[in-house]
Amino acid sequence: MRLSVDVGGTFTDVVAIDENGDLHVRKALSTPHDQSIGVLDGIAGLSRQLGTTLEALLARATLFIHGTTVATNLLIERKGARVGLVTTEGFRDLLEIREGTKADRYDLREAFPQPLVPRPLRRGVPERVRWDGAVEKPLDETALQRVLRELRDQGVDALVIGFLNAHRNPSHEIAVRELVEQSGWQTYVSLGHEILAQEGEYDRLSTAAVNSYVGPGLKRYLDNLALRLLSSGLRVPLMSMQSTGGALPVDQSVRHAAGALTSGPAGGAMAGAFFARQYGEQRMVTYDMGGTSTDICLIDGGRPLERQKTDFGDVKVVAPTLDVTALGAGGGSIAKLDHGGILDLGPESAGARPGPACYQQGGVLPTVTDANVVLGYISPDTFLGGRMTLSRDLAVAAIRKHIAEPLGVSVEEASYAINALANARIAEGIRAATVRRGRDPRDYALFSFGGAGGVHADMVGRELLIPKIVIPREAAVLSALGFLSSDIRHDLSAPVGKPAPRLEPGELKSVFDGLEARGRALLAAEGFASDRVRLVRMLDCRYHRQVFSVEVPVEAGDLERSDDAWLVRKFEASYRTLYQHVHEDVPGFVDTCRIAVFGMQPPLVLKERPAGATDASPACRGSRRVYLQAWTQAPVYWFDDLLSGMVLKGPALVDSASTSVLVVAGSTAVIDPLGSIHITRERE
Amino acid sequence: MSATSPVGTRPSAGVHPMTLAVVRYKLLAVAEEVVEMMIRTCFSPLLNQSRDFSAVVLDARSRVLAQAERVPIHMGAMPFAMHAMHQAFAGDIHEGDILMANDPYFGGSHLPDITLATPVLSGGRIRLWVANRAHQGDIGGISAGGYSPQAREIWHEGLRIPPIKLAERGVLREDLLRLICENSRKPDDMRGDLMAQVASITIGAQRLQALFERYGAEQIEGCIAGILDAGEASMRAQIGRWKPGRYTGVSYLDDDGVGNQNVPITVHLTVEGDHAVVDFTACPDQVSSFMNSPYANTAACVNVAFLYVSDDRQARNEGSARAITIRTRKGSIVDCVPPVPVTGCTTLTGSVIIEALLRAMEQAAPEGSLAGFARRFRFVIAGKDRDGQDYIWHYFSNRGGAGGNARHDGYTNLGVIHNPGGSPSPSIERTEAGFPFAIESYELRVDSAGAGRRRGGLGGVYVLRYEGERDAILNAAGEGVIVPPYGVDGGDPGAPHDYRIVRNGTEMAIGTRDTGVRITRGDRLVCKAAGGGGYGDPRERERELVRRDLEYGYVSREAARSRYGY
Repeated sequence: MRLSVDVGGTFTDVVAIDENGDLHVRKALSTPHDQSIGVLDGIAGLSRQLGTTLEALLARATLFIHGTTVATNLLIERKGARVGLVTTEGFRDLLEIREGTKADRYDLREAFPQPLVPRPLRRGVPERVRWDGAVEKPLDETALQRVLRELRDQGVDALVIGFLNAHRNPSHEIAVRELVEQSGWQTYVSLGHEILAQEGEYDRLSTAAVNSYVGPGLKRYLDNLALRLLSSGLRVPLMSMQSTGGALPVDQSVRHAAGALTSGPAGGAMAGAFFARQYGEQRMVTYDMGGTSTDICLIDGGRPLERQKTDFGDVKVVAPTLDVTALGAGGGSIAKLDHGGILDLGPESAGARPGPACYQQGGVLPTVTDANVVLGYISPDTFLGGRMTLSRDLAVAAIRKHIAEPLGVSVEEASYAINALANARIAEGIRAATVRRGRDPRDYALFSFGGAGGVHADMVGRELLIPKIVIPREAAVLSALGFLSSDIRHDLSAPVGKPAPRLEPGELKSVFDGLEARGRALLAAEGFASDRVRLVRMLDCRYHRQVFSVEVPVEAGDLERSDDAWLVRKFEASYRTLYQHVHEDVPGFVDTCRIAVFGMQPPLVLKERPAGATDASPACRGSRRVYLQAWTQAPVYWFDDLLSGMVLKGPALVDSASTSVLVVAGSTAVIDPLGSIHITRERE
Repeated sequence: MSATSPVGTRPSAGVHPMTLAVVRYKLLAVAEEVVEMMIRTCFSPLLNQSRDFSAVVLDARSRVLAQAERVPIHMGAMPFAMHAMHQAFAGDIHEGDILMANDPYFGGSHLPDITLATPVLSGGRIRLWVANRAHQGDIGGISAGGYSPQAREIWHEGLRIPPIKLAERGVLREDLLRLICENSRKPDDMRGDLMAQVASITIGAQRLQALFERYGAEQIEGCIAGILDAGEASMRAQIGRWKPGRYTGVSYLDDDGVGNQNVPITVHLTVEGDHAVVDFTACPDQVSSFMNSPYANTAACVNVAFLYVSDDRQARNEGSARAITIRTRKGSIVDCVPPVPVTGCTTLTGSVIIEALLRAMEQAAPEGSLAGFARRFRFVIAGKDRDGQDYIWHYFSNRGGAGGNARHDGYTNLGVIHNPGGSPSPSIERTEAGFPFAIESYELRVDSAGAGRRRGGLGGVYVLRYEGERDAILNAAGEGVIVPPYGVDGGDPGAPHDYRIVRNGTEMAIGTRDTGVRITRGDRLVCKAAGGGGYGDPRERERELVRRDLEYGYVSREAARSRYGY
């Protein structure tokens, strides 16, 4: 049995897949003050559901993957460690100077965000490595001893060691760590060149600072959880989900704490990739619409696309991450008339508290969810499995007062307009995500999940002329399911910093071989035999004096070649996909070699449901009035009752305990053997 | 200016509110997509690093309906170029035509900024334009990369392109393209960047065409009216909350480029009801240096100033301009006539125009006001790198502090009011690896921030040691060494810029107009950037914050005592 647990803002989701491929899910309330309580509650709940005990369930687990928001919350709420920085003398302010940028360039009256390490805890020591790695000034150990002593006296509980050009020559950073260890100071230490082995002092410093800021808290949490699970019977190591969509053992995860910041969204993208592989879809775009935002990710060739940089407000993290883009539009986004009287959405969100007006928790402003309730797309009675009863009257009142009356239109027209604007927002967000990658949205299938996604998916697909839409039955626990499709993954990199023609013969091969040996050793120590190891090699290349690198995939065979024609060809191909031109006769510049090593889990197999008749009426639970520019009666189906092969003609609604799906007129929905809904349109 | 429809009424054209909301959003998305395409396809490293380009959707009367938020100073200027291009070919504009211009005397701002536009037709009529503007790395002229303080007439600054058709009915004029590119020192970059501009507006026009097919011309026209009405209503509501009266704002150029210092730029702002008059007629005559601002650039500066003080982002379309009347005097430094040069208008004179107007606005709307920001003091170093290759290095780091405001201290190291917090500075390591320089330090500059109840942001100190085997040449073009970032409401000004060359223990100040300065191995360039101006009486600053600033070393003990009474 494989187990996974994903902690979200409201719910902690537990998913188990047993030896027969049967899926079991359980939701428990999250416990923000100590997430491990909710985790154990959820597992205990699932064990009761399966008629067994917590201990017996944990003892059966062959894999346990956990995604937590502990690190993210520490960063967002600024509740992390008291971090001290040791850096090159003359450069202690780089974190505060940033790179001269500001997240919102038009609001010039915002408060200046203090860096994660305040100035008194940022200390320079005499040392200097030159651009080529030569030591210009040796490390002054006397000064260093004094700085370390003072930081310790200042109550620092985590350290960042970040020197200029340490990616070229890390000896000074390593010497500092040795000195810290020799002094007997047991503190959390991040070395810039280990956290990010590439050029760019701000990228390394900022990422290492985040690492040390969230590391100690993540360590406390994961160590405690691992202990509790162990004492409750878990016999396999606890694995921690990463932003890469891979998992790491706790000790590794704790050392690379900055790599855990977006593990939840990564889980969703991994699930999307899993389904794309199941359906043989080469290109799929996933969108996860929740209460406050919509996460978008492109899946190509069955794998989510990745990126290297993520901004958390004004804090930059450079680490490989699945390229999930958050769009500020969700069910809780507030609809309003702007100062000019035109309908607009967000960026404000009612969130979970007070939530949309229909939640009856004191919210009075109209939201997208309110509009969907008024329109009949969401059933007030089965929302969250009936755990929350929605008030249509309150939704009507909010929309009437703030939108319909000022605009002089009916409440349903106003609601329809809000829904349409949300569709346009999501569609344009998806278009932007594809355009940014040099792709066309029409080449993709749309994969919709998240509680709020199903009522918009068909319309969003129409906006984008996307021919096919998939809505999985497990939409509500998809991140946790995605965890179970993950492999163990280590990311390693090494700087090169040379124009391609200057590479020595075999130079790239020896760099990659070194990385590969390190990666394989890590996996071997975790018990992976060599036939369960998969490698992905990448080069970051650019034209000399350009700022942004492009990713160039490297095959093992490439490295055996005697000339570098393959490198030119592959670099130009990658560059052309993104930028639609190349600079002929200009050699590429190789920044960094990167490798991801995967310790492969046995493939995840979901049990297929037997195919039945096309007639969906056995799953029909009556009908509901919906507004689609006119009121009409639409049949309502229960998601869990829909069997493989059943066909629904729009307009139709599908409800479940966690979501509602709207199929509009002209669309046809078919249930596949995994229970997912596939929506296609008649030719227009 | 006539009265407008009250807030919240349905636009007269009978467009459904849903269509209006969706179409407005789609126009924005198209402008964003054009910029995104530019980012991906532009050629020159400078452009794709600095991202010095913008895109807009305009109506048939050259009014901006939607803009991609990139370079504020581009935005308000685009309609003038669009208008001039449209006029030049009125009656002879067809689908697939691409119009082009850069001439400041035909609605442009300065020569490096090239504007391209293509029409969207429906029912045989021009309905919309999609246009973009990109700052080209080199446009000819007497100095590489433009910004020449030596220029004395516009022809010294490079190639003038009056409105022309770069493409006719979808066919590119290859001959014209060659002519233009060969007039740049970087013809390949120029061609690549222009092709990126062409490609991106062509995609934009296709998207807009699809909008017409879906909604029909009548509905779209109704949306255009509705969008502009809303922009106007929003801006009028904003101005209507201000204190009525006549206010004067003055800020000063360090140097007009022909020997005069502390040259005043004066603006009279009259707020009457929901309408504002911005009067620059008291500004001095144009000069024979590159410090002149053509009218389009001056109007763009007004747009930027209103944008910063406004709290409503939806006001960013041409409708909002109807609530504002701009008056200038032909032949003055803010509305120059041929043949004077203008390249300094966007970054140098522009900042001072914006400052003068903000100073007037702070009297009418104190809650929205900002203390002074560091001005741009740019320089380039040209020489040979370690491989003997020519390079031109642009100083992009250390831009100086932002001014404080009623609620918060200013941002540290944000700089320049005309384009704050834009492109990231290049890394020290990349700089050292690619150029014969060693960076010795980059730290905050103590006491650079103007003291205030809310102080300015700090500037930095950037020290570069030149390590080239052969001498290199430094060319400067800047502002803000003589005139510091101003304080507001009792706040102190920030420290001005202070750049020096230190050679064998002797120091030489780098002037904002110095060119051809020889630098030699071992020279140290010590660049101290300006801090932002302070807001409010420093003695009213919370003692806890002064204590922290002292502990953090943002202020010296002496300044804490003398300025803050701590």
